[in-house]
Amino acid sequence: MTTPAIDTTALTRRFGDFTAVQNVNLRVDGGQFFGFLGPNGAGKSTTIRMLTGLLAPSSGSIRILGEDMKDNPAEIKRQIGVVPEGMALFGRLTADEYLRFVGQMYGLDRATTLQRTKELLEFMQLADEQKKLITDFSHGMQKKLALAAAVIHGPKVLFLDEPFEGVDAVAAGTLKAMLQRMIARGATVFLTSHVLEIVERLCTHVAIIHRGQLVAQGSLEELRAGGGRAGQKASAEAAEPANAKHRSLEDIFLEIVGTDREGNPAATPPEQELSWLS
Amino acid sequence: MAELAAGMNVPANARDIPARTQLLAVAWLRWRIFVNSMFRRRPTGTRQALGLAFAILLRLIVWPFLALTVVGPIVGSGFFAWMAIAEKHPQGLLPLFAGIALLWQFVAINGLSVAATVSNFDPSSLARFPLRFGRYLVLRTLIGLLTPSTIVGCLALLAAAVGIGLASLKLALPALVVLAVYALMNIFFTRMIGAWMERWLANRRFREIFGVLMALIAIGFQFLNFQRAPVHAPGTANSWLLNFLHGSSPYLHWLPPGFAAHAILRAAHPVEALAQFVGLLASTALFAAIFAIRLHKQFLGEHLSEGVSRRAPARSVARGRALAKETGAIAMAAPAQPGRPAFPPIVAACLRKEWLNLRGNVSQLVGMLTPLIFIVILNRAVFARHSTYFLPGAIAYALMGILAGLYNVFGADGLGVQVYLLAPIRLRDVIVAKNLMSLAMIVTEAALAWAVVTVLARSPIPLSTQISTVLWTVFVIAANLAVGTVRSIQAPRKFVPGQAQQRRGTPTNRTSGLLIMLVLLGSLVLQVPVTILSRTFQEQWLGAWIFGPLAAAAILAYAVLLRNAEQLILAHRDVFAEELCKV
Repeated sequence: MTTPAIDTTALTRRFGDFTAVQNVNLRVDGGQFFGFLGPNGAGKSTTIRMLTGLLAPSSGSIRILGEDMKDNPAEIKRQIGVVPEGMALFGRLTADEYLRFVGQMYGLDRATTLQRTKELLEFMQLADEQKKLITDFSHGMQKKLALAAAVIHGPKVLFLDEPFEGVDAVAAGTLKAMLQRMIARGATVFLTSHVLEIVERLCTHVAIIHRGQLVAQGSLEELRAGGGRAGQKASAEAAEPANAKHRSLEDIFLEIVGTDREGNPAATPPEQELSWLS
Repeated sequence: MAELAAGMNVPANARDIPARTQLLAVAWLRWRIFVNSMFRRRPTGTRQALGLAFAILLRLIVWPFLALTVVGPIVGSGFFAWMAIAEKHPQGLLPLFAGIALLWQFVAINGLSVAATVSNFDPSSLARFPLRFGRYLVLRTLIGLLTPSTIVGCLALLAAAVGIGLASLKLALPALVVLAVYALMNIFFTRMIGAWMERWLANRRFREIFGVLMALIAIGFQFLNFQRAPVHAPGTANSWLLNFLHGSSPYLHWLPPGFAAHAILRAAHPVEALAQFVGLLASTALFAAIFAIRLHKQFLGEHLSEGVSRRAPARSVARGRALAKETGAIAMAAPAQPGRPAFPPIVAACLRKEWLNLRGNVSQLVGMLTPLIFIVILNRAVFARHSTYFLPGAIAYALMGILAGLYNVFGADGLGVQVYLLAPIRLRDVIVAKNLMSLAMIVTEAALAWAVVTVLARSPIPLSTQISTVLWTVFVIAANLAVGTVRSIQAPRKFVPGQAQQRRGTPTNRTSGLLIMLVLLGSLVLQVPVTILSRTFQEQWLGAWIFGPLAAAAILAYAVLLRNAEQLILAHRDVFAEELCKV
C-alpha cells in the first residue's frame, strides 16, 4: 500500500463555540488531481490552512507524504506549495524580487533561483511587469505570481485555494497546462474552486465538505454512481445506471449540499419573495 | 518548464536548507521593501520639486527635535552613571538602569501601534516557509531591532558603561558585560510584550481598551508634576512619584535593574557579583522563554482571533440588513411622509450610516473626550489666568484631532465608496451628509470645551473675546471643511477603523499630509497674532473685524466647492479606485 500524499484523521477545528471543520477523514493518493468542493463557509479554506500548517487543528491528525504535521512542519512545508486564499504576497516587492526571495527561503541555490524566476515570469506572462511593484498588479496578475511562487521549488503536493478566480481565459489555460504537467510528473494537486466545470474537467477525485463535515469523497465515477457519500457505498441501485454517466458534477454537488441538516431538499423560495425584481 | 518537475533541485530535507541562506533572504527582503517604499510612485515635474521641497522642510523642522530627544537620554545616562561612581553615590545606578528600562519599554510599546500603522511587513507571515522553529525565533527576535527604542536604549546603556568606566577603570569591563546582557534582557522583554500584545490586539475590544489605557497613561504623565515639589526645595515634601520610587527601591533590588547595578558595583566581591549576574541572566532567559512559547504557538498555526465566535458575522449581517432598512432602502423608497423632513432622503440615509459608524467607534469617542481632560489639566497651569488666550487655545486644542478627520472623509468607506459612485444619487449629498456629521461632532466638542473653560476660568471672559472666538471658530471650521473636502476627493486614503495595520500612504499622500498640517495648524494658530495685536493696540474688537470677513469668505468658498463637488469627484474616480477600492 503506497503512502498517501494527504491523510487526515478526525481533523477538527473549532473557533470558540463554532466548529468550522468536524471529524474530516481525507485521503488523497499521490499523483491525484483532487478537487475539494463545498458551499461558501463550508470549511474549505480552514481545511487547506490546516493541511498547509498555517492553522493548528483543534484535534485530529494530518500526515502529508507520510510526515506528521505536528512532528515536522518544516519538512512538510518544504515539500508542498501553497496558493492561499489571500495569496500572501509582499506588495512592496517586484515580481522578480518576490520569486527570488521565495526561492532562497526554500533553499534553492542562487543560479537555480534566478533561472526558475526567469522561466516562471515568462511562463506566466509577467516578464514585462517584473519591475513593477506587486501592489500595483491586477488581481489576476497577483494570482499568477502567487502560483509561480508556489511552484518555484518544485513541490510534490500543491495546494491551491481558488486558483482560477480572477484569471483571464488565456492565463487559465496556461495554468491548467502547467498543473496537468505537474500531475504527469507525479505531483499531487489539491484545489478548491467554485467553478465546478473546471473541477470536473481537471480533477480525477473529488471531496465535498458541507457545514464542516465531509459528505462525499471519491472518484468522479464513484460520485456519479451515487457512491462515495458519508456512510454510503457506491452501488448500482444508488442511481439510475442509464443517467449516471451523464450527471454533471454540478448536479451531484447540488444534490448533496442542496439539503438541510435533516437531508430534506432545501426549500425553494416562494414565488412572492423578491417579486419586485424585473 | 523542464525545471518545474516535482522535487528537482531542492534540498533533500528541511534541515539541509542553510540557516544563513534563509536569514540573508529575510534581511534582503526587508531591505528591498525599505528601498521600494522610498521610491514608489514618484511624482514628476513641478509636483516632484514641490514634494521634495516639502520633504526637506519637514526634515529640517523635525530632525533637530528628534536629535535632541535621542541625544538627551544618551548623554544624560553617561553623565549620570559617571557621577554616581565618581561622586560616591553608587546606589544611583539602580534608578538609572530602572529609568532606562522604563523609557525603553514605554517608547517600544507606544511604537507598536505606530509600527503597525506604517509597516509593510508582517513577520508572522514567514511561518509559511520551511523554517525550523529555532530560525523562526531568531528571525522574529532580529526583525525590528532597528527601532528608535532599541537604538536609544542600547546607546544609553553603552553611554552608562562608558561613564562608569571613566569614573572607575576597574569597573569598565564588568559594566560593559553586564549592561550588554541588560540590553539583551530589555530586548527580550520588549519582544515578549510585543508578541503577547499582538495576540491581544487581534481582538477589537482589547484594541479599544488599549487605546484608552495609553491615552490615560499619557494624561497621567501630566500629574507627575515635578515643578510643584522640587527635589531640592528645602522644607518641601517630595512628590508622590519620588515617594513611590523611594518606597519601591527595596523591591528593585530583586528585579533586573537591581541585578545589573549590583553585578557591577560588587565587582570587588566576585561571588556576590556572579550571583547578581546569574539573576540578570535568569531574568533574561525567562523573558526569552515566554517570548518563545508565544511564538511557538504562532509557528504551529495559531488563529489570533479564535476567541471570537464565528457567529459574529451572522449578527453583523442581521445588523447590516437592519441598517439597510433603516437607511438607504427606507430613505429612498419610502413614500413621502407628511410634513417636511429635516434632510433630503439621501442626506438622511448617509447621515444615519455615519452615525452608526461613529456609535461603534469607541476610539473616536475617546479621542473626543481626551482633549477635554487636557483642558482641565491646562487650567492648573499659568495659561488659565489669561482667558483671552485660554478660550481660543482650549478650543483650538479640542478641535485639532476632529478637524484632521475632515481631510479624509471617504477613507473609512474603503470599497464601499463604489456604492456612492454607482448609485443614482448626487455625490454632493454624500459630502454634505459626511460634513454634517463632522460638523455636529466639531460643534459638540467646541461647545464642551467652551463650557469647561467657562467653568474653570479664573476671570470673566470679555464679550469681545467670546465674539472673536466664535467668528474665528466659524472661519476655522469652514476653511478646514473646504480644504478638507478637496483633499478628501483628490487624495483619499483607505482607513479601516479599529484595525492596526493600515495601508501606507503614497508620497503624494505624505506631501498632502504636510499641506494639511500647514492649513490646519495655520488656521488654528491664526488667533495668536490677532490676539497679540488686539492687546498691543488695545483694540478689543480687532479679532471680530478680522475673523468676521474671513469666516464669510471661508463659508463662501465652501459653498462654491459644494456646487462643484460633483464634477470634482467624477474627475477623480480613478483616484478613488486606486486608493480605496484596491483589496
